[in-house]
Amino acid sequence: MGKRRKHVFVLLFVLGLIAVSGIVIANKETKLGLDLKGGVQLVLQGRPTPQQPTIDNGSMERAVDIIRSGCDELGVSEIEVSRVGSDQIQVGIPGATSVGKATECATKPARLYFFDWEPNLIGREFLIGGRPGREPPKGPMQEATKEWQEAGRLPTKRENQQLIAAGAYPTEYAAAKLASEQELKQPCPKCSQPTTYYLFEKKKPHKLIDGPEFTREDLFIAASGRKRPADAGLVLKVPQGTIVVSEKPSDANGQVLENAEPGWFALKDDPALSGTEITRPKQESDEFGQPNVTFGFTDDGRKNFQEVTRRIAQRGAASAIGPSSQEAAEATSGHFAVVLDNEVKTRPIINYAQNPDGIDGRTGAQISGGFNSIQDAQDLASFLQRGALPINLNLISQSQVSATLGSEALHDGIKAGLIGLALTIIFLLVFYRFLGFVAVTAIAAYGVIFFALVKLIPITLTLPGIAGLVLTIGVTADSNIVIFERIKEEVRAGRSMSSAIAAGYRRGIATIIDANVVTLLTAFVLFVLATAGVKGFAFVLGVGTIVSLLTAVVFTQALLGTISRSRLLRSPSALGASSEGIRWHIDFIGASRWFFSISGVILIVGALALATKQLNLGIDFESGTRVEVALVKATDEEAVRDALEKAGISGGEVQKEVNPALGDNAFLIQSKTLEPSEINEIQKELEREFGIEANGFNSTSVGPTFGTTVANSARNALIFSLLIICAYIAFRFDPKFAVPVLIAIFHDILITAGIYSLTGREVSSGTVAAFLTILGYSLYDTIIVFDRIRENMPRMPRAAFSQIVNRSMSEVLTRSLATSFTTLLSVTCLLIFGGATLQDFAFAMMVGIVSGTYSSIFIASPVLTAWKEREPGFVRRRERITGLEGSVPAFADETELARLADDGEAEVEIEEEVAAQREVQPKAGAVATVEPAVEGDGGKPSSNGEPPASDPATVARRERNEKRRARRQQRRKHGRKR
Amino acid sequence: MALLVWFTTGIALWHFTIFLPDRFWQGIIGAFLGSTIGAVIFGAIVGTASGKGLGDTDVSTVLVAVPGVAIGLAVVWFLGARAEQQALAE
Repeated sequence: MGKRRKHVFVLLFVLGLIAVSGIVIANKETKLGLDLKGGVQLVLQGRPTPQQPTIDNGSMERAVDIIRSGCDELGVSEIEVSRVGSDQIQVGIPGATSVGKATECATKPARLYFFDWEPNLIGREFLIGGRPGREPPKGPMQEATKEWQEAGRLPTKRENQQLIAAGAYPTEYAAAKLASEQELKQPCPKCSQPTTYYLFEKKKPHKLIDGPEFTREDLFIAASGRKRPADAGLVLKVPQGTIVVSEKPSDANGQVLENAEPGWFALKDDPALSGTEITRPKQESDEFGQPNVTFGFTDDGRKNFQEVTRRIAQRGAASAIGPSSQEAAEATSGHFAVVLDNEVKTRPIINYAQNPDGIDGRTGAQISGGFNSIQDAQDLASFLQRGALPINLNLISQSQVSATLGSEALHDGIKAGLIGLALTIIFLLVFYRFLGFVAVTAIAAYGVIFFALVKLIPITLTLPGIAGLVLTIGVTADSNIVIFERIKEEVRAGRSMSSAIAAGYRRGIATIIDANVVTLLTAFVLFVLATAGVKGFAFVLGVGTIVSLLTAVVFTQALLGTISRSRLLRSPSALGASSEGIRWHIDFIGASRWFFSISGVILIVGALALATKQLNLGIDFESGTRVEVALVKATDEEAVRDALEKAGISGGEVQKEVNPALGDNAFLIQSKTLEPSEINEIQKELEREFGIEANGFNSTSVGPTFGTTVANSARNALIFSLLIICAYIAFRFDPKFAVPVLIAIFHDILITAGIYSLTGREVSSGTVAAFLTILGYSLYDTIIVFDRIRENMPRMPRAAFSQIVNRSMSEVLTRSLATSFTTLLSVTCLLIFGGATLQDFAFAMMVGIVSGTYSSIFIASPVLTAWKEREPGFVRRRERITGLEGSVPAFADETELARLADDGEAEVEIEEEVAAQREVQPKAGAVATVEPAVEGDGGKPSSNGEPPASDPATVARRERNEKRRARRQQRRKHGRKR
Repeated sequence: MALLVWFTTGIALWHFTIFLPDRFWQGIIGAFLGSTIGAVIFGAIVGTASGKGLGDTDVSTVLVAVPGVAIGLAVVWFLGARAEQQALAE
């Protein structure tokens, strides 16, 4: 296939792709993330249970299925459940306006167990018993009453009397203490939970600080994420085989008093049957019209149920003296307890006179008397229907975004993207004329194809994803700029338009592939290792980079190749290459000392800031709850704080917020991590006191575990990115090229961290994504400089390394500035128009891009120079040049070097000179910089050991060198004659 | 945080080694290693001895790293000078 045909074929292919993309865009919905359309998002972490001692793939999948189907049945529609990593599940509930029910449907373990009560009771409860019609023994009762009094709970209060008579302990500490003294039961496949840990206050009445947790370590991380001191309180370890359960008292009608303080029991963890053995749970009403939950049993469940109730009945009958009436039998009948998630829901008597052979499970059973409303009973029925989660799920992060704020963020993101795009287009048209028009066409093609892919895959578009999209526009423009600068160079060198285009693409493609591979590697590492929010960004960045290769390289090459012989491209001015262009002639290496000093000073300031002000880590790392609320009634911080106190939340920080999306009466509330129920309380209280604007309530809660996960994933992503990218650079360039790249990256990240510390801006998981993108961007720039150095090395076989670097940097400086400028245009638009979330991201990007451009030119290249110049080959070159010129000029004189290269005599001459020098000079050590030779003034040897001027050979050489210097100065003064 | 501060101080001071004659082992890269490793190790030793936690930082955290950088650079310089002497002897 001829070149022209190939170009036409590629053009038709891309045009076809654009047409198909247009159809996809018109017909497919865009999938928006919760941060853009509003809703509730939860992150749950799996924890083992005795039945499921390890978190494996199967148990996680089962948990995902149960949450998905269960939440559907609870009326939570469109639920999005996905696994994140090996032990986390992300649940998104679009449109949800409160965290309460949504959270419950995903996190409630709904583990139901049935206990033969009396044989499993531990301690004095067994003696007291709590059976109706039976007087409890006086001794234990007195002891219990005293204990309740000491715990500050009135023993004369009706509900407390009920609990005392049941044999309950007044505090969780007392029950847990007793439980902790029991023996470990292992293995225990029937146990409802593993060994648990409790942390209590040291002083009486030993209030619970934290627990139950499954590890001791978890006790010492507060809800705020702060570590607790080792002596924060008393730790009680309740071994597997024993559990602590609570029971709330009920009123005279048997209604459970939901707001009453419970009593506590220590229980042997030996359930008779579990929730997996029940069927068809549903909400009904009992004979008094009260709501209850009825259910049937599986075959095994039925047998077990009958067996346990028979056992209870027989035990009751055995302890009775002679035959009893049904009423009298109650005094010795045993209890059958229904325990849901460590809370006794109901504890009926199995009356042996009524059911001497136990209860036949065929008719099913019911839970009654414990519901405050029909809704409560319906919810329990739904949870039982859903089935118990196979593993424990801890809520580690939750966020609630209102639809208004989401659409506002989407609007801001699109606005920022469009303005960034428009500015980039204007810049490209002004700077590259017709080539700019080609680039704009490529960007338009990129936009259409990429948007179609977003809809087709589908990629859930989130705010960080939009940031990635805006960045890829910059990357697309970058790729074009790299090639266009090459084409312009070739045109200026006198090539025809078609051969300049061909050469431009041929030479630019390797650079672009290297730079894009590095960006792709960064995106890949982020996608694999980072947390969910950052994953969206990484995916968009990765897909965008691949599409940009198609549109910015393949498509533009075909387009330019097709029209290269047309009238449009007859004049170099059409490409913006009519003049000589900007020719930089800066001694970058010579000036590097000053740039190093500037960087050193900035970093010292950064270190001082980090030491004194530290980093303002957001709740993503520190954990906590943040609520943004738009109130109807105008009020102040103090009034909002009072409302929080009423809702039972103390110690929260309240500040008025400036957020156009939320209006003039918006407040930001930050506190330790709150439970979903507490957030609901805040919402209700604020609604009652001030009224909340429609969709004006947003909350985010991050638990300490999630904060640690975010921090660890960021650290891992950083380390792996660096390793992979260094390996790639070492493979593609030279192992020595990888080290300056690393140093430049450290430089950029530390400067960005220092600036974050100085300005006190919050560091969020989005900032981490930005940090890691900086890494990719900084590398992109450095690679383009290094690529030119690599290209110039064989072209300048006699030049010192510093001369090669100076020339390379002068050649690519325009490109570096142009690409940084286009990317900065996009990022600046995000910073100005992108809304609060994108602004944070854009700020980190902006600092990083400026620092990355600076470090690739003024840090990485000088470090590489200093290191490479120690190599014997380059040491010899410097010696040779110093011998000829007296010092190493900043730029190699190409004509002179070329002449010397063509002149075999000159080569021999230089070698002889160097050999003569070696004979006279002491052997030099491995010194990086060869200082200029001090010119002698007669017969005295120079300081660097040159032979005395009286040597005829030396005199002749010096004369020749003098003539060359004079010729060179003449040329510099009057220009080169061709 | 203290680790970050020591590392940043090490890198910051390394920038000024460009003004020193290049006799470091492995040149500017050796100086980089010397200054950063020296800063972190010395900082950690002093931090441990003073009983300060890693999260507890102030101006002294920066200052503590300075002698570490000097020691690290001196070690790398010494290694470089010895390598030079060996090369001369050969």
